[in-house]
Amino acid sequence: MDFIIAKYNYWIYIILMMIGFYAMIVKNNLAKKVVGMNIFQTALILLFISTGVKTGGATVPIVIGDAHGHAIPGTLHAIDYINPLPHVLMLTAIVVMVATFGVALALLIMIFKRYKTIEEDEILEIRRKEAFT
Amino acid sequence: MKTLDIIGWFAVLTTGALLIYGTAEMPNWGDPNSPPSTHVSPRYIEKADEETHTPNMVTAVLADYRGYDTMGETTVIFTAGVSCMMLLRRRQGK
Repeated sequence: MDFIIAKYNYWIYIILMMIGFYAMIVKNNLAKKVVGMNIFQTALILLFISTGVKTGGATVPIVIGDAHGHAIPGTLHAIDYINPLPHVLMLTAIVVMVATFGVALALLIMIFKRYKTIEEDEILEIRRKEAFT
Repeated sequence: MKTLDIIGWFAVLTTGALLIYGTAEMPNWGDPNSPPSTHVSPRYIEKADEETHTPNMVTAVLADYRGYDTMGETTVIFTAGVSCMMLLRRRQGK
């Protein structure tokens, strides 16, 4: 039981990641593939965020100081604040995720204008016909 | 089409099973002594306010310690925006 409580967060992220992976490799619709990629990236971000958690009274990584917001020297202990580094790095990852999502959607619009469909097999069929003519 | 579906399911289930097998070695959830929370992060928690005078440690790391990284990040967003504009621009005569 302790093992399940200690690890079930990873299992949830793996299930989420596999949903995204399935959408990326099996789905025929290119828009669904893009959304699958987004789900995959979200699962990774959740995995890294969960490594920053500390149980036992740790709070958000904002200094609890005196009335002016300055830290009282000698009162900052790593055990009292959750790990700030995963949050920072995942902020960067979210930026990259948004950028790739936007460019992928723009490319999808162009594919739809060119082929009038975003189904992968229909696009391949059209391209095959074009190659022979 | 049906065989591709079966190959896809096989790949997904194999990868998922391997990843779940790998979680046995991962640190426990919320463990204060886990590797991500012990090596460099205590130094940032203890010194960030003193060195940058920013109470929010996430902001201190993002905009001060990793300021050049954040500047590069704006380049990423700029490139994405420019490429979207170039892709979606109405072309002359077509």
